[in-house]
Amino acid sequence: MYLYKTGIPLIDDAAGGFEAGTNILLLAPSMSCAEQLAYALVKPLPGEYTIVLSTNERTAEVIDYFRFSGIDKHFIGVIDAISKSSTPGIADTPRLMFVTSPTDLTGIGIKFSSMIESIFDGTFSEGESGLFPPPIRFCVNSISTLLMYRRLEVLYQFLHVLIAKLKKIEGIGVYVLNSESFDDRTISLIKQLTNIVIEVKVEGNDNLFRLTGIRGINADWRKFTVTKGQVAFLP
Amino acid sequence: MISTGMYGIDDMLGGGIPEGSKVLYSMEPGVDGQLFMISTLYEALAKGLSCLVILPHMTVDAFLHDAEKLRGSRMDTTGKTIVFFDAVDRERIQRYAKDRKTAAREWQGRVTKLCTENRIDIIFGYFDVMYEDFGLEQGIGLLSSIQGRNKPTIIIEHLNFEGEKTLKRFISEMAFDLVISIRASSRPLPHFHFFTVVHTSWSPQPKRSVPFIITGGRVVPYIPKIVVTGPPESGKSVFVAHASEHGLSVDRRGPSGETTTVAMDFGWLHRKDFDIMLYGTPGQPRFDPMIQVLLKHAMGVVLLIDATKGDQISRARHLIQVITELRVPIVIAANKKDLPGRMSEREIRDSLGITDDIPVFSISAQRGEDVLRVIESLVDFITQFSY
Repeated sequence: MYLYKTGIPLIDDAAGGFEAGTNILLLAPSMSCAEQLAYALVKPLPGEYTIVLSTNERTAEVIDYFRFSGIDKHFIGVIDAISKSSTPGIADTPRLMFVTSPTDLTGIGIKFSSMIESIFDGTFSEGESGLFPPPIRFCVNSISTLLMYRRLEVLYQFLHVLIAKLKKIEGIGVYVLNSESFDDRTISLIKQLTNIVIEVKVEGNDNLFRLTGIRGINADWRKFTVTKGQVAFLP
Repeated sequence: MISTGMYGIDDMLGGGIPEGSKVLYSMEPGVDGQLFMISTLYEALAKGLSCLVILPHMTVDAFLHDAEKLRGSRMDTTGKTIVFFDAVDRERIQRYAKDRKTAAREWQGRVTKLCTENRIDIIFGYFDVMYEDFGLEQGIGLLSSIQGRNKPTIIIEHLNFEGEKTLKRFISEMAFDLVISIRASSRPLPHFHFFTVVHTSWSPQPKRSVPFIITGGRVVPYIPKIVVTGPPESGKSVFVAHASEHGLSVDRRGPSGETTTVAMDFGWLHRKDFDIMLYGTPGQPRFDPMIQVLLKHAMGVVLLIDATKGDQISRARHLIQVITELRVPIVIAANKKDLPGRMSEREIRDSLGITDDIPVFSISAQRGEDVLRVIESLVDFITQFSY
């Protein structure tokens, strides 16, 4: 089974990385560096592909993040659920696709399937080739925004479908959810879809995270920073 | 009848959708089937019908842009009546309505006003947000509130997470007249898409699934395999060649001096709005294992006989037996109708032992119109066949 390296020694040393089919919930408060952490976890290694469903940032911002981390843009796909509301005529490309708003789950589902297909049929990266079968990292940034537009039950069903597809193609998924904005029931329901939970909290100027769901890693809080897509732990 | 804008589907439905019907295009998540409703909308506008489009999930500009991208041509609204209820309208109602009841009343008032002021013939609704806001009964109720002589046809697209259960509710509780489910193969990748005519209220259609492809901005139903088989030298290769727009044949010269197919004939054609692949088999009994392979997953079979050669009947009877076991639609084409000594249709039926529900055509395989008549009949048979 393919193992997705994270660049985080704590995870890679204990488990060799995330197993194919893993889904990770990233629970974090506002103003933490959850986004950078999520992008660091889905940063594609050579030969891998990443798809980001962005409900918070425009495509350029997402691409810039990966570019500053030294990632080849040919292996990054973005489904942008923001830009089209202000620019209705914006056109899709194989790696950059647009839906009108986070409400449009039909569109999001179609663009997701379309990107996966183009990765498999080799048209995604314009001649650049990755591994085959292609390892695919998927990130939803964020579930919180989707929940502002659609009911929890509907979103649960939608994510369930996406996750099932991701498992079939042996990808991994990282889902960002604001830990402060939703009740326990919501968080608990979304947790049911995932098998690893990473919680983030902020204390003073420090970001801390703890991880549950990987055997051999205890759930202690650890201080961390993210610089250029690289996660480092602080003493 | 209102055309779906997909003529192959119109044929399957007996000409289209009766006016005043309620129609559901049910979309499985992730399946690219948005062109179904767009096709029906374009067709309705082309026919001069007045349309209300309800898009609670997007703005009109974004919708028009998406429709143009999907269809490959701008929606022609010049001189046409088309009005919209979009995400901006929904947001406005949501902002001011204190509760669901008030919101429903606002929706209903707005939809009714748009329909009566514009004498709307068809309401096109993207339903899943309405379903979420109001539930199934009230959501459909908002669209069905226009009564009387000008009761509009209702056509909705719905993102269906709940599968059969939801379809059954649309049919039994909401009395929908046509339900078409748009899905994909459940492989890791959607290798093919297909639609299923789940229910029609106006004709006893058997439940039918047909693959489709999207090409040139159109939904094209797709028949991946029609097999043309029959005894040796009955004219199968000639039939495939004259039916096909593109094709090839793998032939060798046989002991009689005539060429005989040793692998298969292959052809492609577009007919009755279907993309069709034709596979012609060899006829010699020694190729029977190969014929079995070629018949696998066939959606229909043309059995060709040379009507001037009575000695081919026993071979034809054997092939019919093989095909009957597969329970696929079959038509008989009796070749060489223009030559003397040919058998009559009755003689053919009696000697082959086939019932009257299997069509028999007298043809000349060298005449394009004859072979296409057989193919058209088989397509009808495939789309109406009760498996």
